[in-house]
Amino acid sequence: MVTLTIDNQSITVPKGTTVLDAAEKLGIVVPHFCYHEALGAVGACRLCAVYIETEQSKGVQMSCLVEAAEGMVVNTLEPTAVELRQHVIEWLMTNHPHDCPVCDEGGECQLQDMTIAGGQSIRRYRGKKRTYSNQELGPFIEQEMNRCIQCYRCVRTYRDYFGGTDFGVMGSRNRVFFGRFEPGRLESPFSGNLADVCPTGVFTDKTYRFKSRYWDLQEAESICPHCSLGCATIPGGRYRELQRVRSGTSKEVNGHFICDRGRFGYGYVNHPDRLRVPRINGEECDRHEALAAINDKIEKLGGEAVGFLGSSRTALETNAMIKSWAEQSGSKSVCFECHPQRDNAARSWVALRGDRGRSLADIRRSDFILLLGSDPLNEAPMLAAAIRQAESSGSQVAVIDARPVKLPFKAAHLVVRPEKLSTIIRALKSGAFDNFERHEQLFFEGVLKSIKKAERPILVGGGDLLQAEGVAALCELMAQLPEAGGDFVHLSGPNSYGAAMLSGAAPDFETILDDIITGKIRALVCVESDPFADYPDRKRLQEALSKLEFLVVADYINGPAAAKADIFLPTAAPAESAGTYINCEGRMQRFKPVLKPGEPLRITGDGGHPPRRFSHETPGDQPRSAAEFIANLVGQPVTINDLRQQIAADDDRFSGLDQPEQGMLCRANGELPTTVNREDVPGKGDDLLHLLPVADLFGSGPLLSYCSALDAVRSAPCVVLSESDAASIGVANGENVSLQTAEGKLAVEVRIDAKALPGLVLIPQTGADAFLPGGVMIPCSIRKNGARDE
Amino acid sequence: MRDLWRDIKGTLEPFWVTLSYIFKKPVTIQYPEQKRTPYSRYRARIVLTRDPDGGERCVACYLCSAACPVDCISMQAAEDENGRRYAAWFRINFSRCIFCGLCAEACPTMAIQMTPDYEICNRDLLNLVHEKEDLLIDDGGKDNEYNFYRHAGIGVVNPRGGNEDETEPEDVKSLLP
Ligand code: SF4
Ligand code: SF4
Ligand code: SF4
Ligand code: SF4
Ligand code: FES
Repeated sequence: MVTLTIDNQSITVPKGTTVLDAAEKLGIVVPHFCYHEALGAVGACRLCAVYIETEQSKGVQMSCLVEAAEGMVVNTLEPTAVELRQHVIEWLMTNHPHDCPVCDEGGECQLQDMTIAGGQSIRRYRGKKRTYSNQELGPFIEQEMNRCIQCYRCVRTYRDYFGGTDFGVMGSRNRVFFGRFEPGRLESPFSGNLADVCPTGVFTDKTYRFKSRYWDLQEAESICPHCSLGCATIPGGRYRELQRVRSGTSKEVNGHFICDRGRFGYGYVNHPDRLRVPRINGEECDRHEALAAINDKIEKLGGEAVGFLGSSRTALETNAMIKSWAEQSGSKSVCFECHPQRDNAARSWVALRGDRGRSLADIRRSDFILLLGSDPLNEAPMLAAAIRQAESSGSQVAVIDARPVKLPFKAAHLVVRPEKLSTIIRALKSGAFDNFERHEQLFFEGVLKSIKKAERPILVGGGDLLQAEGVAALCELMAQLPEAGGDFVHLSGPNSYGAAMLSGAAPDFETILDDIITGKIRALVCVESDPFADYPDRKRLQEALSKLEFLVVADYINGPAAAKADIFLPTAAPAESAGTYINCEGRMQRFKPVLKPGEPLRITGDGGHPPRRFSHETPGDQPRSAAEFIANLVGQPVTINDLRQQIAADDDRFSGLDQPEQGMLCRANGELPTTVNREDVPGKGDDLLHLLPVADLFGSGPLLSYCSALDAVRSAPCVVLSESDAASIGVANGENVSLQTAEGKLAVEVRIDAKALPGLVLIPQTGADAFLPGGVMIPCSIRKNGARDE
Repeated sequence: MRDLWRDIKGTLEPFWVTLSYIFKKPVTIQYPEQKRTPYSRYRARIVLTRDPDGGERCVACYLCSAACPVDCISMQAAEDENGRRYAAWFRINFSRCIFCGLCAEACPTMAIQMTPDYEICNRDLLNLVHEKEDLLIDDGGKDNEYNFYRHAGIGVVNPRGGNEDETEPEDVKSLLP
């Protein structure tokens, strides 16, 4: 710790803190451009000048580069320092275009702020301005290079932080250029962060282009609903339309950045087909009418005949309401995830993880990371970014997976069949590798050696591939790690963890389906969950649900279940309601409403101006948060805060839920599910291959297919084949084939991957009705297009 | 005694003032038969002007709506195929406008201007809600020279780097010093 004096106030900071950070702790903002908390200092912009009075480094210095020292005296308002800052701004502005009115950064532009703060409001330079040609960078990011002030934040983010390789700095002297080496779509799945880090309007969010000014946006702190990491986000909207998402800051989780899935996947809130009026048998009706009809029917059938289904994308408060509603109506069939394998994986993680679960911040600091059945870029993108931070500060990374996992850094990689993962993890625990091949044995020995050497090793698992058994094995292996080591398992939905905690040992959706088939359950209530989209075995589901007498669906997306519902209730999207998600490390994180429910003006006004009549009604304002609907149904209207208090009081694992601090960890654990034995590996026929559905960056998750901004980047349906399988079928890369499964035929494109395993066909989840990852493998065969079917 | 004089004076003086005006020319005019021309900087009905090349000046930057103390301006920006930013719709609610002129002062493109046309009363409030079609005139108003896009760097009227105060786009792959 060192104590220094800044502007006559003294402060004690840890050794190594920069003067700029120390000043900020005192609330003194030293103007700066190139310094960024996550990226560090490079001293490129020369704006952060301060005057240091004491001997060690007397004179005008860049505060972002000088470390605070004992007894240092700093003056940020010393006239030469102030003058230097003013000149720096003036010279940065010499080439800056006269653009603010047509620049999307205007209003939240650091250059504008600093120019005003520097007092440099008149341009004295009369020479000509340098210009550049822009590049077309794809559907997410707009470039206007004339506005650049050469702070290098963009390259440091894109290349140094995220490991992107297609973007960088070019040119020399005063014509340095920041862009792609060739025009084209930015390849990194973290490209959206350019819009956040660039302090000027060079890189802006293309999906938000010209939509609003910052000061007109309604914004609120929120949590990303697209994977189980729960990154902090700040969505913003105007005229009843969600218009953009920018990154929030959460030290323990995402830091300062988010991935493109979280940033550009917001269109489901504005979707034109979203149903916004309650319906009975397809006919629009009043909310109270619909609620009364639900209550009548449940009363008539009796509680035991009703199944309740919540989901892992529903807020904890809503799931808790569903649980108490089920209890109140006398039903024992309540479940919070309609994908049974994912449900069981989540429950087993929650039950067995012990108290050495690690956060993304811990992963960034780790010195050995073993990825087991985890494909971060496709399943939980910011995890890849976190691992890269560890890797670039010297950590080793090893991957054991069934997929050719692509990562933005170097990692040792072993490809194995998915069903072998649990066996491998148990072998790593016991150290007996006799049943494995030589190259596998060598790999495992290397892994064990690295674990032994490391101080803070972390095991990272993916719930989808590991499934309940693998997760349990991983938790056991973790117990052997050194004290500072730990584990981290990512699940499927933003609230999978919370859902698993609430489920405890209750039966899973498979049991509910059995009961529906035998006629024990005659009605099903789906709250923000859609078994037609999210249950892996479509055939069995069809069979079961056709027996149902009564289906209630409450949702904010217009999925396949909504069309089949007897009664439909429109619920508020996460951006329109308050709630809590528990991320995959057990962190309770709140999101706040950004907008009130309503149909976007862009839709009601058909792109034109607002209506020319006065009205007290807002079009499409009928959706309510699902918790509110249920509260009305059970006849005890409560506010979200009452609800939180009640949940925290009823179950002390959730204590702290009602406290306003963001991101408290849940206490203690859940229970193990009652295990259901299922066949894991399908039988092997003659030319039978095994189809393994896997997650896809822009295709996975129930919400992404409703986001039109992602249409341009969604991959076409394809299968990944090994070289030998491709050769025996006789297809080349990029060719079309037909994929035959029990569900029918599908035309897909072939991608050959040198790392893919023979006998295993990977199919990325690319759309709403694709195969669902996380389940069992499916027997399939592949025929070249044009080949005759036998 | 002094009070008495004061009272007499106070009673007579006003009569004198009144009498003296009988012989002066009246200032009252017979509105609406007779009308007076206000000064050119008079602040009344607001218009949207065009640049000397005939294009809409407004770039929908939202600055006027931000400056407006009564929030009576609203708009939506959009982009046309040449990259020109313009207002897809633009609305001023004159029943709320207090004619303070802050919008005109905030406007960076000289698009929004105050005119001396003060006769905009109406019995139906909705008739006071003016859309872009109602506001847009075919003239530059108080300035017929300025075209924002001839100074902005985004290359809408001229090709990129083609404005008077700009140099040609740099060749970033050149190695010349
Ligand atoms: S980057 Fe900032 S200063 Fe430059 S044009 Fe945009 S808003 Fe104005
Ligand atoms: S493009 Fe933006 S972030 Fe990159 S150097 Fe220029 S101003 Fe800085
Ligand atoms: S990593 Fe997951 S939670 Fe974070 S922004 Fe991306 S999709 Fe959202
Ligand atoms: S300030 Fe001027 S350019 Fe900007 S929106 Fe208003 S009228 Fe248009
Ligand atoms: S912030 Fe210190 S030099 Fe840029």
